[in-house]
Amino acid sequence: MAEEKTDAWDATQWHEVKKGDTLWKIAVTYYGDGSLYTKIFEANRDILKDPNLIKVGQKLRIP
Amino acid sequence: MKCLKPMVLMVLVLFAAACASSNKPAEEAIKAAEAAINAAKGEAVKYIPDQVKGLEDGLQTAKDAFAKKDYKAALNAAKDLPGKAKDLAAAAATKKEELTKAWKEMSGGLPKMVEAIKSRVNVLSESKKLPANLDKAKLDGVKAGLPEVTQMWNDAQKAFSGGNLADAVSKAKTIKDKAVEMMTTLGMQIPAGAKS
Repeated sequence: MAEEKTDAWDATQWHEVKKGDTLWKIAVTYYGDGSLYTKIFEANRDILKDPNLIKVGQKLRIP
Repeated sequence: MKCLKPMVLMVLVLFAAACASSNKPAEEAIKAAEAAINAAKGEAVKYIPDQVKGLEDGLQTAKDAFAKKDYKAALNAAKDLPGKAKDLAAAAATKKEELTKAWKEMSGGLPKMVEAIKSRVNVLSESKKLPANLDKAKLDGVKAGLPEVTQMWNDAQKAFSGGNLADAVSKAKTIKDKAVEMMTTLGMQIPAGAKS
């Protein structure tokens, strides 16, 4: 198995989903405004099909 | 009395020869030091200018002593300079390597940091209410600083293109510090590479 190389300068902002999290709550945490949850949903369309369905442990990009 | 004149002349000739032989080692040491410093300083002056100045000051001390006919002091001041000039070349090469590595890392990483900051600022600009620990004044401060950071980055790249690696790295470090400050203000995660 090839060793995964991590980029020490990667500035992507991540949030690991915890129990009780919703995209709305996450948006409030980072933006102060829950209605901006769509920004997070759009940035994670590769792993999210439905903004209401997020799983504990998922790593979401926070634009 | 007649034979005294040639004797005086002979003494004078011998004295002149003795003087010449005592200044010769000092003269040669100064020439060797100057040649070694000139050969080493081309690259070194870009990367370790303080050390170059130290050697040039040493050479000047030797020359001053020589001018005052203090050949012993001149020789002492000059004799170690070629060896130090050799060390200078090695130190310059090491410094160049360090700076090249630092530039490579930062030139790859800083644009990512700036893009992340811009992205967050864009989203926060649409927010009706800001998150905890961030107020409008702080956000406006970050917004106002972004064009400055972009300009500084352009300057750093110009310095690099112009062959001024030390200046490019110095500017890049300033940008890194500024970007870290902005990310901290916005409550963002700092990339590991930017923490050192």
